[in-house]
Amino acid sequence: MLACLCTVLWHIPAVPALNRTGDPGPGPSIQKTYDLTRYLEHQLRSLAGTYLNYLGPPFNEPDFNPPRLGAETLPRATVNLEVWRSLNDKLRLTQNYEAYSHLLCYLRGLNRQAATAELRRSLAHFCTSLQGLLGSIAGVMAALGYPLPQPLPGTEPTWAPGPAHSDFLQKMDDFWLLKELQTWLWRSAKDFNRLKKKMQPPAAAVTLHLEAHGF
Amino acid sequence: MDNFHVNANYIVWKTNHFTVPKEQYTVINRTASSVTFTNIASLNIQLTCNILTFGQIEQNIYGITVISGFPPEKPENLSCIVNEGKKMMCQWDPGRETYLETNFTLKSEWATEKFADCKTKRDTPTSCTVDYSPVYFVNIEVWVEAENALGNVTSDHINFDPIDKVKPNPPRNLSVSNSEELSSILKLTWINPSIKNVLRLKYIIQYRTNDASTWSQIPPEDTASTRSSFTVQDLKPFTEYVFRIRCMKEDGKGFWSDWSEEARGITYEDRPSKAPSFWYKIDPSHTHGYRSVQLIWKTLPPFEANGKILDYEVTLRRWKSHLQNYTVNDTKLTVNLTNDRYTATLTARNLVGKSDASVLTIPACDFQATHPVTDLKAFPKDNMLWVEWTTPSESVNKYILEWCVLSDKSPCIPDWQQEDGTVRHTYLRGNLAESKCYLITVIPVYANGPGSPESVKAYLKQAPPSKGPTVRTKKVGKNEAVLEWDQLPVDVQNGFIRNYTIFYRTIIGNETAVNVDSSHTEYTLSSLTSDTLYMVRMVAYTDEGGKDGPEFTFTTPKFAQGEIEAIVVPVCLAFLLTTLLGVLFCFNKRDLIKKHIWPNVPDPSKSHIAQWSPHTPPRHNFNPKDQMYSDGNFTDVSVVEIEANDKKPFPEDLKSLDLFKKEKISTEGHSSGIGGSSCMSSSRPSISSSDETESAQNTSSTVQYSTVVHSGYRHQVPSVQVFSRSESTQPLLDSEERPEDLQLVDNVDGSDGILPRQQYFKQNCSQHETSPDISHFERSKQVSSVSEEDFVRLKEQQISDHISQSCGSGQMKMFQEVSAADAFSSGIEGQVDRFETIGMDAAVDEGMPKSYLPQTVRQGGYMPQ
Repeated sequence: MLACLCTVLWHIPAVPALNRTGDPGPGPSIQKTYDLTRYLEHQLRSLAGTYLNYLGPPFNEPDFNPPRLGAETLPRATVNLEVWRSLNDKLRLTQNYEAYSHLLCYLRGLNRQAATAELRRSLAHFCTSLQGLLGSIAGVMAALGYPLPQPLPGTEPTWAPGPAHSDFLQKMDDFWLLKELQTWLWRSAKDFNRLKKKMQPPAAAVTLHLEAHGF
Repeated sequence: MDNFHVNANYIVWKTNHFTVPKEQYTVINRTASSVTFTNIASLNIQLTCNILTFGQIEQNIYGITVISGFPPEKPENLSCIVNEGKKMMCQWDPGRETYLETNFTLKSEWATEKFADCKTKRDTPTSCTVDYSPVYFVNIEVWVEAENALGNVTSDHINFDPIDKVKPNPPRNLSVSNSEELSSILKLTWINPSIKNVLRLKYIIQYRTNDASTWSQIPPEDTASTRSSFTVQDLKPFTEYVFRIRCMKEDGKGFWSDWSEEARGITYEDRPSKAPSFWYKIDPSHTHGYRSVQLIWKTLPPFEANGKILDYEVTLRRWKSHLQNYTVNDTKLTVNLTNDRYTATLTARNLVGKSDASVLTIPACDFQATHPVTDLKAFPKDNMLWVEWTTPSESVNKYILEWCVLSDKSPCIPDWQQEDGTVRHTYLRGNLAESKCYLITVIPVYANGPGSPESVKAYLKQAPPSKGPTVRTKKVGKNEAVLEWDQLPVDVQNGFIRNYTIFYRTIIGNETAVNVDSSHTEYTLSSLTSDTLYMVRMVAYTDEGGKDGPEFTFTTPKFAQGEIEAIVVPVCLAFLLTTLLGVLFCFNKRDLIKKHIWPNVPDPSKSHIAQWSPHTPPRHNFNPKDQMYSDGNFTDVSVVEIEANDKKPFPEDLKSLDLFKKEKISTEGHSSGIGGSSCMSSSRPSISSSDETESAQNTSSTVQYSTVVHSGYRHQVPSVQVFSRSESTQPLLDSEERPEDLQLVDNVDGSDGILPRQQYFKQNCSQHETSPDISHFERSKQVSSVSEEDFVRLKEQQISDHISQSCGSGQMKMFQEVSAADAFSSGIEGQVDRFETIGMDAAVDEGMPKSYLPQTVRQGGYMPQ
């Protein structure tokens, strides 16, 4: 009898402890991903400044706004507001993941072209950070139970400096890469902020949402 | 082995050339032996295998080097830090020493990607800085692998976001600005570290006044969010403050940055917060009707001045009169005031405004100060000199404390300070020196003027006196010594002299200590040994210790003062007394002595002389020998005197005189001339002693005669008188006079002063005779020489025999008188010769064969006449 009581008492504190050590849910990782996008945005701002200076005029002029030529392969961040609003979490996350996967590939190509060691170091660090962002998004998707989008074989984005590209056009591509990256980071910040706000209610709501999604 | 004809039993194991004990060997088979080490003392040993050939020659077969160590322990306490702008650095505890080369590898990975390993450098085996810049907001997993020859081990994995391990750079360009509107605030601005762009910060701001050593801190909750400026409040006006700031991630994860560089700022001025201390001094040498008063005040301390004091404004108002204004830059103002009462006010002015006014009443000349403070005490505490008092019953506006160093060398120059009227204790705010005597005066100041001052002495810190007291003796006795010393001068006291200790010792003896109260300047050492050298020194003690003065040496005398006199004088006196008593005794008992020592044996053969005495036949009848014998005194006397006459005239005289006295007593009642003649006869023999043989005869005849008269027939005197020479009236007169004379004799012995007058009287009584004068003179002339004196006496007697019988024994007195009446003697010098002649005549008479005749004549006294 006494032994039974002792056993019960022994297990009482263990139960909430177990609960606590369990998965805290995607909330913190969404917040972290949001912070990361802000951090990358900040990082990119200085990187872009440096790189555009490296590219030289007219790319480093503040009001330089060239037409989007030859950058069609880059994932486009701009989207209709209604469309963006109508995106569900999975799609939203998937689009982010796919975009950054592509952008990262292009960026690595950019890294190889960079002339100065300092710039290369900055680009390398940014690449690493972007790699981190990808991991973070993957983490959030995993936490939310979404499968990672499988990269289609053959459509693997590779930086193929075409012979048709002139140096200027090449620079134009670089310019658009950085510009698109920046736009994506803005958009991601908004995406994750929205997601964060949705996740702020307890994890049950997430579960509910997931269930609803399931239907 | 077979070559050497040995087996495994002959194998000897050696480590570093020392043989391993056989107990550790195990013979496996005929050719194999093993050795077991349970404990390896050395990390690196040379193990050799040897065999004993021929039982004694050691031969090395093989050797190896054994290196020992431990496998690595699991690294613990792995932690990482990301210094802003630098790469991540992680460190850990490696565990116990392995004694082997051990490699540590820091491994890190994301969920999706591995990072390059971080290999420790040889000089920092417990920490490693990764090659890549940290990626914030992405969790990273980090662990350490340790590996050496004996194995490898992995630490626990830690998973963290590098942003939570950030140590930001400190805020930069901290600057301080003040506000003219508010003198109590300073505004801080700074530039945040660049990491502020990716995380939120919180801050700690610390400040202190320029001279303070400890920092005050602004409540952290006031600076818990990212900002780049802050306004610090509740600061003191016109005070320089020093600030510093640091920051960290707002949620407290990570590390505090280093402190920023310090920045300084001064708050704006405010009007002086307090009225200055205000006091006055009156010059004692004031001229008639006016007094020179010096108003003095203290500069305000910075925390009360609240700015730079530009000047002071003094107003003076004579009792119910107009105001006088003064603006002074100094802290004193000398004014000439009348003897009336004045009221003075003082304000200090700075850029912002004026202080409150200090008001001081300078009372009229005839003001009598009263109501002093009571129970005034001063004592050191915490290296400060505190003063404490009981407030008077009247309400006090303020207190003035004055103090100065008491010294014999320099005058008392007082410093002062002011305290509020509610204060009961304070400390002296001045540069006080240790070991100095401070005279502290407390003056309560009332509305109508200062009260009576009260003073007390105190030391900030006492020390032993710098000089000891100089002791000396005031008086040294046989067994005691009175020591005295001077009070130490105040300059060397260094404290309150609490007591003295006197140390004294003899050269060989132990030192004895005596404690003496400090109020004394004299002490009597008692129980000293006489005739001993003593060394004495003296120590004066303050609360902090003592200092001894020079040693003083003194010797106690052998005898106390007056002791010798006390011994000698009584001894002498006792001796004198004894002698005197002896003499007196001899006198008293002289008859007895005589009887015993030289009894008089009368010669019966000469008895007939009396019988045939031609002039006194009838006396014969009254001179029975029986009587003569019965009264031995007179016979004795006669004999003695005859014998001693030559040698001792003076005692003889005494005796004869004494005899006279006795006779006088015995014949007092008588008016008989026979008494007188008998008296004379008794002295007569001494005078005629020049001729011994004759004198003997004379004596006997005299004796007989005297005896007849005196003893035995006393009561028959009338009849005797009829019988003897009663027809002469002269002796009768003599006899009447005699009592006086005898008394005089006594007096002479005692050198009585009344003698001369009596003598005069006597002379008057026998005026017709010159003999007294003569005899007088003679005597005076010959006092010096005994023999001469004898001679004189002889003559004198003769003279008296021949001439002055009329006055009888009275003349004898005259001789005694001489010395006192010398003046007379000179006056009558002219007569001397004549008397001498007469004396000569007398001598001639005596020289005659009929020696008895003159005797008879003398006895008769009237024969020559």
